[in-house]
Amino acid sequence: MFKTLEQDRPFIENKFHIVGEPFKPLGRWNYHGYAYDESTGLTDEQIQEGLKALSESIKNESHPVQKGKCFAYVLDNTRIDINEHDYFIGMWTWARPLTPYCRWGWETEKECPEAVETLDKYEYSGVAFGRLDYDHTVPDWDSLLELGFPGILQRLHDNYNEIVKNGGATQKQTEMYKGCVIAYESIVRFIDRLYKYALTKTHAKAKTYAECLKNLRDGAPTNTYEALQLIWLYFFIGEHIDNYQVRSLGFGLDSSVYPFFKKDMESGKFTKEEIREFLAYFYMQFSAIGNYWNQPMYLGGRDRNGNTRVSELSYIMLDVYDKLDIHNPKIQIRVANNTPKDFVYQALKMVQTGNKSLVFCNDEMITKCLMSKGATYEDAMDSLISGCYEYGIKDGGVAISGNLTNVLKAVSLVFENGYDSYSQKQVSIKTGELEELKTFKDFYNAFLAHIEYTTDDYLTALNKLEPGIADINPSLLFSGASKRCSKTMTDALDNGLNNGSGISLSGLGTAVDALMVVEDLVYNKKIVTLQELKTALDNNWVGYEALRHKALNCKHKYGRGDEKADNYAASIVRFYHKLIANRKNAHNCGYGLEIHSARGFISHGLKTLATPDGRRAGEETSKNASPHAGSDTQGVTALINSATTIDTAIVTTGFCLDVTLHPTSVQGESGVDVLYGVMRTYMDKGGQSIQFNVFDADLLRDAQAHPEKYENLQVRVCGWNVLWNNMPKSEQDMYILRAESLNK
Amino acid sequence: MKAKIFEIKRFAVHDGDGIRTTVFLKGCPLKCVWCHNPEGLTAKTELAYYAHKCVNCAECLKVCPTGAHFIENGIHKFDRSKCTACGKCVSECLGGALTLYGKDYTVGELLPLLIADKDFYAHSNGGVTISGGECLLYADFCLELLKELKKSGINTAVDTCGFIPKTALEKVLPYTDTFLYDIKAYDESVHIDCTGYSNKQILENLKFLDESGAKIEIRVPYVPNFNDNQIDKIGKFLAKLKNITKVRVLPYHNYAGSKYDSLGLKNTLPLTVPTKQEIDAAIKKLKEYGLNAM
Repeated sequence: MFKTLEQDRPFIENKFHIVGEPFKPLGRWNYHGYAYDESTGLTDEQIQEGLKALSESIKNESHPVQKGKCFAYVLDNTRIDINEHDYFIGMWTWARPLTPYCRWGWETEKECPEAVETLDKYEYSGVAFGRLDYDHTVPDWDSLLELGFPGILQRLHDNYNEIVKNGGATQKQTEMYKGCVIAYESIVRFIDRLYKYALTKTHAKAKTYAECLKNLRDGAPTNTYEALQLIWLYFFIGEHIDNYQVRSLGFGLDSSVYPFFKKDMESGKFTKEEIREFLAYFYMQFSAIGNYWNQPMYLGGRDRNGNTRVSELSYIMLDVYDKLDIHNPKIQIRVANNTPKDFVYQALKMVQTGNKSLVFCNDEMITKCLMSKGATYEDAMDSLISGCYEYGIKDGGVAISGNLTNVLKAVSLVFENGYDSYSQKQVSIKTGELEELKTFKDFYNAFLAHIEYTTDDYLTALNKLEPGIADINPSLLFSGASKRCSKTMTDALDNGLNNGSGISLSGLGTAVDALMVVEDLVYNKKIVTLQELKTALDNNWVGYEALRHKALNCKHKYGRGDEKADNYAASIVRFYHKLIANRKNAHNCGYGLEIHSARGFISHGLKTLATPDGRRAGEETSKNASPHAGSDTQGVTALINSATTIDTAIVTTGFCLDVTLHPTSVQGESGVDVLYGVMRTYMDKGGQSIQFNVFDADLLRDAQAHPEKYENLQVRVCGWNVLWNNMPKSEQDMYILRAESLNK
Repeated sequence: MKAKIFEIKRFAVHDGDGIRTTVFLKGCPLKCVWCHNPEGLTAKTELAYYAHKCVNCAECLKVCPTGAHFIENGIHKFDRSKCTACGKCVSECLGGALTLYGKDYTVGELLPLLIADKDFYAHSNGGVTISGGECLLYADFCLELLKELKKSGINTAVDTCGFIPKTALEKVLPYTDTFLYDIKAYDESVHIDCTGYSNKQILENLKFLDESGAKIEIRVPYVPNFNDNQIDKIGKFLAKLKNITKVRVLPYHNYAGSKYDSLGLKNTLPLTVPTKQEIDAAIKKLKEYGLNAM
């Protein structure tokens, strides 16, 4: 039965779509892999027809009940799979089938047209992208694993009866209860259907499946395999039917699964080898789905008493992942001062050999950040990571709206007095004609004024949408699992939890560089006037190459340990902090600041015309807390000193630095010491998350074709490092050859 | 007291253990044919001109007091004989094609730059390495600098070719945690062919250092057709010493050609580079002598 992964792997890789066939990366769920047994259910088209008819017939019911019934319809009718090449169940219909019925229609009903118009204005101009956030939920994994689906259902009944007994339930509570019950009952039926289908199978894994599904149908998981199967079921149904992205697997996959692992070891239910195999099949599901954002999960960290959560299972989980050589799921390693060094070293060795899917998160800073948002010390230690590097409290709340704001755009707005040439609209206030900006202070104040006005304007617009989110998409699966929401029978997104809002900065490094060039060339050296610089920008630098080079050569840039530039970065971050520090969202909760660009460094870059730092129209801006590509010419230590000049304790939701290293800088035994030294020093200086890029020969070829993207790439030659761009092509060629020969 | 520095390299990870900052002092008594740091050979300040980066903007012409930079048929030309290495052109160069190698520093000026990354040293068992050129040509300066570094609790390494008076080593010995010591050949004739000078003093100095109990990491550049026949003899010699912690075989490469061109120097770099098999064999051979070779 076991030791089958190698032969099964190609099959799983084709589970959700056929490898090699073209796809649109933003909607992987619109595809199918290998065919399922047709006798087990309906086609996607039939499901859509059924949903259409059903939703018509229940139009007068409450939203939670309508959604619950649609939810149940899909689970009752989708095709299923119990495959001999897999340990994790298959569910055919996954193209978010409820969206047209239970979200889009209700969205229009709930949205306020003026608010949407404002948000559209900012989105089209590239000032900011802000919308309700359906994409950052982490369920109450403790409840799910302790109770199982039937236990969650029972708790819903018990809590509702309690509410009724203590003075009665409101209509809203009753509808939420009904919706959740319909959904959870359908999950139990779905598992029963899978179980019975497993009984019809005769392949080697069928019995294992059947035992697991029977237990999950009847109660809580009893062993490691069942715990993983439950997490898989919740994830798959949550993302695709409940329609809220599930942004972590367990409260730390190692922590959540460890009690089961320990029990299995004691009882002899499974061997370590068998558990390794289950884990490998589990990881392969996410690799096969292949969402571009990568499925997050985390390992390590601390419990409520401050004890490390690293266990024997943590090492196993990391090792199994390493051996699969996949990059999805992505893993956050929570590093506290008491995290065993050999565990951190195990992860760093993976980085050393080219793994780029690990991010190292500073557990002490997570605690600090969450406490500054009001968490208790214990809750802040025993916290969660959701998504890329965002922190939260277990069963505490979700980010109800997210805004990705383009810091660089505010520089452009100064040049155009609030007008945006890209979208051809006046998008911000008038801060004065260029000749009125007599000093750099005038210019900088105008820059901040645009940030202040636009931030307030789009947050106000978003606040108008925020109250509607739960009614647009009742979070039945998510709220049903939540201990807190179940108690009050309130949707998590309707104040069932404490839902803050977030604002994320993108292009910070580039904005600082642009400001420094304005000061240096216009106000200090007086090489050009603001108007002349504007003309150069309007012409996308064409005909102004010499001026562009002067801009590129400006001494003060963020990311190279330049005190002036770094302090401007810190000051801009503090300005954003002040704007949101005492602000409340529509749920009467606070805002968190994040320096995390997501794809904003590309998408905002496309909508930002040429900027004073020498960047051309449409080019990328800086990502996360990192400098503009090429600005960090002084190496990684200077880069870290720059980034940690920012007061990271006020960046309470997430802060990540990307560090690029060449394999020769970190090879060998001492190379891990180097990585550790970089990571630990960054964290001691208050850095939050850090990820490494260790580049290989392919990358060097790209560096040769696009040198402007790799200004800081250093190549270790022998007794010295050299900047890649300082080598002429002939020498680069030899280096590439050498890098290739080392790979052999 | 000042020394001429041609580079301060932060995040240096191959000049001793951990994350280090390496400071390169200018001037060297040897003339190794394979030298990959030709900008460290002379003790004078020099202007390097990297022609492949020049964008022919002519900004340098405007500030050059001697007319060393000029334009001929739209192409920038540089007459080194007229250059006084004043460095005025460097900050004007739009393409970043000009670099001035050699700037005088006092210990007081240098120290803050070397201490900037102290936290990184602490977490990686790193520190500061003084290298060159040949740093011990400035033994008194090194002594003063090393004393200051030790006062700040920083691990120190001195990277030397050993072709210096014994007194220079004696001076720095009490303040140096590790010596990175080059052995290029055992046979004197081979050493003369490769570097222009005898190695008698180098081997004597190494014995002295070893006797004195210093921690020594040996570095052997491996250059085919030049010193590749010396490995066995080097191994035999080193095996008799007591304090050699590591022997690192450094595969020769010929990537430094552009530096020779930029400085107007004759490129002496050998053409043949070693294969991985040759390097592995050399390491194996050294290990046979009980050495911690890598």
